[in-house]
Amino acid sequence: MAVAMKKPSTWAHYVALLKKDLSQELHTKDMLTSMGLYALLVLVVYGAALAQAGSELDILQMAGGLLWAVILFTSLLGLNRSFSHEKEQGCLEGILLVPMDRSVIFLAKATANLIFLLVVTAVTVPLFFFLFLGQVGAAPTWPLMIAPLLAGTVGIAGVGTMLSTITMNTRGKDVMLAVLFIPLLFPLLWACVSATTCVMCAPEGFMDTFVTSMALSAGYDIVMILISWVLYDFVVSA
Amino acid sequence: MADALANEPLALEVKKLTKVFGDRKALDNVSFSLPQGAFLSIFGPNGAGKTTMLRMLSTLARPTSGTIRVMGIDAKEDPDKVRDHIGLISHNSMLYPDLTAMENMMFVARLYGVVDPEARVRELLRAVELDHRRFDSVRTFSRGMTQRLSIARALINDPDVVFLDEPYAGLDPHAVEIFDELIASLREGRTFVMVSHDLQKGFAACTHAMMLARGRVMVCSPKDELDFDEFKGLYRETVGMGVA
Repeated sequence: MAVAMKKPSTWAHYVALLKKDLSQELHTKDMLTSMGLYALLVLVVYGAALAQAGSELDILQMAGGLLWAVILFTSLLGLNRSFSHEKEQGCLEGILLVPMDRSVIFLAKATANLIFLLVVTAVTVPLFFFLFLGQVGAAPTWPLMIAPLLAGTVGIAGVGTMLSTITMNTRGKDVMLAVLFIPLLFPLLWACVSATTCVMCAPEGFMDTFVTSMALSAGYDIVMILISWVLYDFVVSA
Repeated sequence: MADALANEPLALEVKKLTKVFGDRKALDNVSFSLPQGAFLSIFGPNGAGKTTMLRMLSTLARPTSGTIRVMGIDAKEDPDKVRDHIGLISHNSMLYPDLTAMENMMFVARLYGVVDPEARVRELLRAVELDHRRFDSVRTFSRGMTQRLSIARALINDPDVVFLDEPYAGLDPHAVEIFDELIASLREGRTFVMVSHDLQKGFAACTHAMMLARGRVMVCSPKDELDFDEFKGLYRETVGMGVA
């Protein structure tokens, strides 16, 4: 007896793929635990390094850069693992056998990576404030840093998902991902560090810098995610 | 009836299929055709191009040149339509070890757009005798059970053509027996293409046999036109030829 089937919409494919990634993480807590622990360890290392710096150090000026370094390296760890389940048992090939738009695989994986990264960031940022900015105190405009945090994590998840697909079959994929990821992400990183630092310090005329940096971040996200979306079929089929 | 059979498209039609990696030809001008309901076993030494060919037939890799038609559909022109008709069982299970059997199956059923996914999944789990373990994670399954679930996964879209890539790899004799019974029960109306190193089993199961060496077809015939001892002798010779 033939099986009744109705071609699912792109949205249905997206939901099924995303749900699978989230269920897998709920079962294993693999990504969240490793990324969370790694972020915590980096903060401990910061603590040890800054403890020797003395009182003249303007931690507020450095805070944006330090915070983005944690986010960047934590995301690298997560991105390296995000395709390991797919590769392990040939699961990605199983998905590629399904008649569907392959760019949806990119969107779903990037969304899952974004969710994991946002969860870890949501824990890391308050911890960072508590450990390093508790006594200094950031400018009252600091809540605006949500904007660069969002734009930055979206870009990291999008570009990172694309690059981890490219590098998953290469030798030394961990190093290869970092070698491609950091230079490609540099414009976004620069813009996000700049936007974060200026809302934490709020120097005179900071709003201009903030708006310019945010425009650059948003432009980067749109262009890079569109390029990834368009090229994904080619990359995943290669 | 005869007319209807004559009009039925071939399950597989491969013409001048070539795949080049760098300066190495993994497959060189391979042509063959297979009627619906046939069982083709492909043999050959490591590096002969068997898996490369299976990957191209199942749309997972693109040929450098040549054409593939599955159930009359050109794989280059309409790969998605071809994917509607095929299933692949590999030595890789394509299953997520941390998800349960049910979650794995429901995921695939939703991707294919099965109208009543739960009923279909339960039907297949019963067929592979894993319904009682449906809420257990695949990580807790033995290799044989994982392979059975992998078969159920490949059948979710009721494929006309099933590709089997070294399906006996890592199975103990009991699991092999169960696997053979399962495949035998699925034969009716389906076409199978199996890549195997197990000459005895592969030859016993097939209706057509192919020998590949260095990317070229040495023999491709209906089984009843072949003598097993001669075929075995040729297999030994081609294994001696080694990797292309």
